[in-house]
Amino acid sequence: MPKPADLLQGTLDLLILRTLAREPVHGWGISKRIQQLSGDVLAVGQGSLYPALHRLENQGWITSEWKGSDLGRSAKFYSLTKEGRQQLERELENWKRLSVAVGLVIKRA
Amino acid sequence: MTLLRLIRIAGQRLRSIARPSRLDADLERELAIHFDQLVLENLAAGMPPAEARRAARRTLGNVASLTEECRDTRGVNWLRDLRQDVVYGVRMLVKHPAFTAVAVLSLAIGIGANTAILGVVQSVLIDDLPLPDADRLVVIRSVPLANPAQVSGASLLEIFAWRDRSRAFDAIEVSIAGPRDLGADNGTPADRITGQSVTAGWFATFGAQALLGRVLTQADNHPGSDALVISQRLWESRYGADPGILNRRIRVGGTQMTIVGVMSRDFRFSDPRVDCWVPLYLLPNQTAGGARFFGVTARLKPGVTVDRAQADLNGIAAQLAQERPELQAGWGVRVRPLGEALFGWAKEPLLTLWVAAALVLLIACANVGGLLLSRASARRREIALRVSLGAGRARIVRQLVTESVLLSLAGGVLGLLVAWWGIRGLMALTPPIGLPFIAGVGFDVRVLAAAAALSFASALVFGVGPAFAASHLNPILPLKEPDPAAAHGDRQLARTALVSAQLALALILLIGTGLLANSFLRLSRRDLNFDPSGLLTFEFRVPVAQRPIGQHRGFTYFEMDVPPSQTMKRVLERLRAVPGADSVAAISFQPVNSLILPVMDVILEHQMAPQRDGAPRSRAAAYFLITPGLFHTIRTPLLRGRDIDNRDTAQTPWVAIVNETAARRFWGDADPIGRRFTLDSVPEEQPREVIGVVKDIPTRHGQIDPQPVIYASYLQQPLRYRGPWAGMFGQMTFMVRHAGDVRGLIAAARSAVAEIEPNRPIDTIMTAQQRLNFGRERLRYRVFLVGTLAATAAVLAAIGVYGMLAYAVSQRTREIGIRKALGASTLELILLVGRRAVVLTAAGLTAGCVGALALTRLIESQLWGITATDPATYVSVSLVLVVVAFLACLGPTRQALAIDPTLALRRD
Repeated sequence: MPKPADLLQGTLDLLILRTLAREPVHGWGISKRIQQLSGDVLAVGQGSLYPALHRLENQGWITSEWKGSDLGRSAKFYSLTKEGRQQLERELENWKRLSVAVGLVIKRA
Repeated sequence: MTLLRLIRIAGQRLRSIARPSRLDADLERELAIHFDQLVLENLAAGMPPAEARRAARRTLGNVASLTEECRDTRGVNWLRDLRQDVVYGVRMLVKHPAFTAVAVLSLAIGIGANTAILGVVQSVLIDDLPLPDADRLVVIRSVPLANPAQVSGASLLEIFAWRDRSRAFDAIEVSIAGPRDLGADNGTPADRITGQSVTAGWFATFGAQALLGRVLTQADNHPGSDALVISQRLWESRYGADPGILNRRIRVGGTQMTIVGVMSRDFRFSDPRVDCWVPLYLLPNQTAGGARFFGVTARLKPGVTVDRAQADLNGIAAQLAQERPELQAGWGVRVRPLGEALFGWAKEPLLTLWVAAALVLLIACANVGGLLLSRASARRREIALRVSLGAGRARIVRQLVTESVLLSLAGGVLGLLVAWWGIRGLMALTPPIGLPFIAGVGFDVRVLAAAAALSFASALVFGVGPAFAASHLNPILPLKEPDPAAAHGDRQLARTALVSAQLALALILLIGTGLLANSFLRLSRRDLNFDPSGLLTFEFRVPVAQRPIGQHRGFTYFEMDVPPSQTMKRVLERLRAVPGADSVAAISFQPVNSLILPVMDVILEHQMAPQRDGAPRSRAAAYFLITPGLFHTIRTPLLRGRDIDNRDTAQTPWVAIVNETAARRFWGDADPIGRRFTLDSVPEEQPREVIGVVKDIPTRHGQIDPQPVIYASYLQQPLRYRGPWAGMFGQMTFMVRHAGDVRGLIAAARSAVAEIEPNRPIDTIMTAQQRLNFGRERLRYRVFLVGTLAATAAVLAAIGVYGMLAYAVSQRTREIGIRKALGASTLELILLVGRRAVVLTAAGLTAGCVGALALTRLIESQLWGITATDPATYVSVSLVLVVVAFLACLGPTRQALAIDPTLALRRD
């Protein structure tokens, strides 16, 4: 899988944070959920998912915890921290501005 | 960034550093779960198990690089790299022990010397004294306007004027030290000790507390006070540290006094030899005394600056000069902060040493930098290999700088040892006279921090350049071409410049040392106008039985029961009969560098000589009591008139001998013989007639301007004396000129004196030369310290020259071999190798001389009888360095001559 572009990388962070906003989820669950919610359009490869998760954790936006899971064994669940929730707000804001801007360019060009 | 998040991130980092294996295990498990889910999904899609696993592995991709990518997000990779670099660096340093030893040792000396001096400078010159209101404490001194360098104590007239007229001070406290006689009591014999009379607020000025009992306070500020504070040393030695010492009554100088306190030996504001403190009560009307021997310490009012106080006292000095011109004309005042007064003398030597140590550190850095440069050349292949294997330039630089930091840290640690020794050495610079007191110099955090900072700074100075030079390699060349002979001329140039710089810096230091040593030698050899060789000296004291019989102008007025001169006369006559003693005489204090130097005001019978050279109209003179034959015994030339002899007794008219300076100062060009003068403030003193003039014996060793001195017969003295110098009557320093064995003479002198005074042994037995050396120790020590640094610098520079040439020869082995095979003569080969040495030495010496001309100006004021640009010193020291450089060239040159052409050509 080719390395995602900057835009995509920022977007991946946004998608992960958004997915975790509802409840703590493990890595496998995040990739599945993004796939489902996007109507199978977005497939997040593990090659970018896990580095992204670890980066977000090392930046303090999310934390992790090992606990029993639906997979029949304990798994590493990620959850948003309070700062991560604020970061999500900021990223959403950015995303909205960006998509509006892109929309405008596409419409007027 | 919120605090909470910071803490969270810090926690993550800590985990990453502390338990990387656990994190790795977690990561592995997490990826395994993902893999298993992929397999399950594939199975559910109907793949056979083996195919399902294969597909899952394909999806997951390169697990190793994925793991690595996840690890990279931990942000602690630099630590891992660092660990690698350190391990690798240590390995490299251990593999080259000679290189490491030279580098670490030279850095240790440089860092250690600088650390020691920084530590001392910090506590002596920068820190406030550890005293309450330290910034308000000042020392006030009188200065002759014509010679401001020769500060003097203050006179009572001045002190009272300051107290009455100045509004700049909260308190003006006065002290004066001198010998005191302790009476025998409870089995302890009579003794003579050094005491200090202090005004009531003196101790409070320093915030001083007694070890036992109390210090002197305002309660003692009355004429009848009998309070006495003794030193811890006296308490221990004389009274066996008796805890019940307080309120004991003892006789001091003939007066019964009561011990009210014991002063800890940590109290450093008195001369370390002071063993007792007695109240000094200044009567308001005692304004007549013009003699300047009082120490004055004052506390400024809050908000008053030193400059303002100085201006205030300048005004008062001008008034006094008008009111009492005969005493005050030509005299000014100097107000200095206490810290500066205590340590001002240390500023120049410390700064000199500091500059010297900084130069040594620079040389050490240049040296190690040069070594690293040639190491970098030797490591070109290794580095090229690493570059071709994908190491970035930054990574290479980091690796090399890590090695430099390791070197300098090792140097720093070893440097702490050097610093420890250095601080002790610098403490020994403390002068024996005055107020020696170095406030808490020792190993504190700041010294350690200084050492660490110096280590890192030197690593940057010597390490970064070579590291960048090495990283600029074209990786292809060294791997392809084994003989680097022709390449890298610019690096050779850099090394040559570094070695030249070392020589230049070393030359600056050597010239500085040469100047100091030269001036020290001149000072040692200068004409003392007496001959110390073959002169044995010892001291003998008789406690002066004194009764205080009243006060006069503020001084206790003593009557001496038995004139001590009678005992002295018997001792002198007995000693003259000792076999082996060619001639014997005595003087009240040793003529040069006496700890106590009585200075008397002199009233001339005739008009003073008109001022010609603007010299102060001071008629104060150092005053010695002597026996007949002194000048003959110590071989001081008598210029005019006659010596004191046996005709001069207490019954004949009183006479005196003056030195040249006194004769010139008091009587100008007129013949002093037959002139008369009287010592001021001594009742029963009779006018003395000048019968002789002797050459100047310097009263202080380092003193350049001679001081007026009066010598009077010990027999022609008043029976009553008041004032601070009462002690001079009870002691004599005997001078015995001898030809033969000193040891036998000492024994004979001992038993001779014992026949007359069995309970009073002679003491402080030394040769006159030893007494002179005593005063030179500090100067000698300073020369020694700077000299040590300079020698270190020279050795380092020699190592630099040697290392560079040896390296050049080894790099040009093949070239030299070819030349030899083609028939080059020995001379040609020597020139080939030596040319570079000549160029770099010449460049180094030129730069060094220029630098020395600029820098030695710093030590100009510490020189005696020589200028800072003394050509002889410059030339001879440069020659020394040329010889050193030449010796350093010998090895590599011989190595070049010994090269076997056949072997050299077959190499590689």
